Amino acid sequence: MSGDRKMRLGAFLMAGGHHIAAWRHPLAHAQAGVDIDHFVALARIAERGKFDMIFVEDAAAIRERNSDMASQAARSTAFEPLSLLAALAVNTSHIGLVATASTTYNEPYGLARSFASLDQLSGGRAGWNLVTSASELEAENFASSGLRPHSERYERAEEFADAALAIWDGVEDGAYLPPGGADFTDRAKLHPVHHRGKHFAVEGLLESPCSPQGRPIMVQAGASDVGKELAARTADVVFAASQTIDEAKAYYSDVKARLAKYGRQIDDIKIMPGISPIVGATEAEAKAKYRALQELIPDAVGVALLASYLSIQDLSSYPLDGPLPDMPETNLIQSRQQLIIDLGRRENLSIRELARHFAGARGHWQVAGTPAQIADAMEERFSAGAADGFNVMAPIFPSGLEDFVTLVVPELRRRGLFREAYEGRTLRQNLGVGVPAKR
Amino acid sequence: MYLGFSLTPFGHHPAAWRGAAEIANLGFEALLAQVARAEQAGLDFVLLSDRLGARPVDDLSPVATPFEPTTLVAALATRARRIGFLAAAATHQHEPYNLARRFASLESISNGRTGWVAVTTGNGEDRDREYVDLVGALWDSWEDDAFIYDKEKGRFFQPDKMHVLNHKGEHFSVRGPLNVSRSPQGKPVLAQVLTDENRALAAHAAEIVFLQSSSPTGAEEAASDFIRSLEAADRRRDARILANLVPFIAATQTEAQALHDALQAVEDISKQPLSGAILIGTPIAIADSLQQWLEAGQIDGFAILPPTLGMADLFLAEVAPELQRRGLIGRTKAGSTLRDYLNLPRPAYPAATWERAS
Ligand SMILES: Cc1cc2nc3c(=O)[nH]c(=O)nc-3n(C[C@H](O)[C@H](O)[C@H](O)COP(=O)(O)O)c2cc1C
Repeated sequence: MSGDRKMRLGAFLMAGGHHIAAWRHPLAHAQAGVDIDHFVALARIAERGKFDMIFVEDAAAIRERNSDMASQAARSTAFEPLSLLAALAVNTSHIGLVATASTTYNEPYGLARSFASLDQLSGGRAGWNLVTSASELEAENFASSGLRPHSERYERAEEFADAALAIWDGVEDGAYLPPGGADFTDRAKLHPVHHRGKHFAVEGLLESPCSPQGRPIMVQAGASDVGKELAARTADVVFAASQTIDEAKAYYSDVKARLAKYGRQIDDIKIMPGISPIVGATEAEAKAKYRALQELIPDAVGVALLASYLSIQDLSSYPLDGPLPDMPETNLIQSRQQLIIDLGRRENLSIRELARHFAGARGHWQVAGTPAQIADAMEERFSAGAADGFNVMAPIFPSGLEDFVTLVVPELRRRGLFREAYEGRTLRQNLGVGVPAKR
Repeated sequence: MYLGFSLTPFGHHPAAWRGAAEIANLGFEALLAQVARAEQAGLDFVLLSDRLGARPVDDLSPVATPFEPTTLVAALATRARRIGFLAAAATHQHEPYNLARRFASLESISNGRTGWVAVTTGNGEDRDREYVDLVGALWDSWEDDAFIYDKEKGRFFQPDKMHVLNHKGEHFSVRGPLNVSRSPQGKPVLAQVLTDENRALAAHAAEIVFLQSSSPTGAEEAASDFIRSLEAADRRRDARILANLVPFIAATQTEAQALHDALQAVEDISKQPLSGAILIGTPIAIADSLQQWLEAGQIDGFAILPPTLGMADLFLAEVAPELQRRGLIGRTKAGSTLRDYLNLPRPAYPAATWERAS
């Protein structure tokens, strides 16, 4: 392993915690979803830990159709990510701010503009996690025609990404002139967008100066073939969900192998799988923490969450103590469905067991142990070509993040795996990804 | 008297930036400093206007901030906690669900101190009305006490207090519910800049209207017209009618006039998108005019569009305290929401006529 290669760390924030039942835990703040001071505190904890970024997911809908089921989980009220991160931007100084936003339910100009705004507010710390939105519930909030097919969503996403990049690149560094002269802007440095495509027509210029980091960071988390291709072409960071080290390595080398085709280097993309760490002073304490959370999951809620990722309406009609039924390929999140099926087969889990396992971190890798054990596990994947870093998904907030920052981060530092201080003020500088050539 | 303060980096006059010394005026901290002064001076809200589309190449006006208004409000609201914020957003630029959600999120961030200036285009009145009603209905997706956070029983919210819209209109199809709880002030405040095209919609739904008339008499007529429209729409006189005001202020009347003339010689203010009545005078003279205007007619207050930052400072440092001394501004009741500041009623949760969630 090269001596100075450092891990990238994201703090994936989620109201009371990533564990589906976290909000019921005595340590959890149940109203966290709409408490801005809670989120400011979380961002500051992550910044104290010198995380590269905080990350928030998104869906433009509630997550569960059945209201009785929805009402037993904490995911029906939340901040909209761009406004949340705008608020966090002016209450932090170094940490990157990555918001998820959909190419299916936005328009390029408006979205590019909001990210440019976040980028200006934060002094160059904005990132966009581009998603294509795979839920029927979201589709129903925008049209009567239902969810568009996977291929169509990605076709739109490709054009959307190109338009957004062109909009960001439309204002060169130095385009805004110092006062006192005859002009406010240098028109030679303004390149208005004239985009006419199948899905969008965009004309005009951003209202903001050039991004302090050259261009906001592009993040991608799609795992289908087209998803990975889009990432290889446009992304600076890729999030992924994988259970085993072999899955993670396969995904890692697959995405990296696609880069050359676009004239990009291996290091131009940082691959950061999710990890849900449950930290204890001893392994037994960590396992006990995990069990305490697991005991708070109502079976029906776990099964409904699993079903939503499998895009099956009525998983409850199968025997809970039997195996997963065979199911058709989904138009939704194909990769996560496969991950669940593989996990169930590999570990021979019943629907109930699978649901309980899945409820901890929605299919992401969960590690319960001492700080050293967690650091070991992370180091193993980092060194084995399975990850450039991790998106850390604390099971419960703020305590899970606090534990990670005070116990695991120092352990990673002792091993020379993680930074002592921020390298720069922008997200791009801290991630160590270059400013892309302007188009 | 209710007062709003329109925020720009250099001032509203298109020539203002020429006299402004700092490019840093464009930055967040400088804008926040303006907001903090407005808050300190006891103003009720800050107004963030917006243009309708992408910036055209031939319009490089330095009036707008570099920030998209709603994201700027999110940032400002965490750092200035005793003033309201109205942000403009156009119905043609956002899906109704996204817009309703962005503002609901601002309400959570600000604890109920925001409002939406609905920018409509006028050439689709039915669409705009469906849009505005739909956004209002999305804001009512949850009853006020829907979220109970009962850890013991494992009940985060009461399912029968969540309302699915299943809206299927001529222009939009939205299932709902919104994934943000009801606002601390019931709903964001709905505002419109009054035009001939949106008069009917404003009379139907707006809780604040801004009058763009260039003279006090013009504004009085516009206010009377609007009040008639309210009556025609079966509404009480329950909207705040605010006149846009562009105050050229200096220590003497002569100086104020000279500053006005100098700016106008560079660029004529009548080309401004968000215009208002021009007043020219000393702080005391401006305060006198506002008082007379308020006492004589139908106006509830003003949106101040300072021509330059120097004049913004004079308004906040000298006119506002004078209005305070005369008892014309200053909050009369306790409360921390924009509705409280404006003495607007908190909208009651509508009788749940919608179908219950499935
Ligand atoms: C860490 C991670 C976070 C994700 N967050 C979101 C999200 O917030 N919203 C969303 O719609 N999809 C999210 N996704 C899903 C993907 O971005 C993508 O849209 C989905 O996987 C469908 O594309 P695919 O078929 O290429 O995987 C996430 C995926 C991962 C791995």
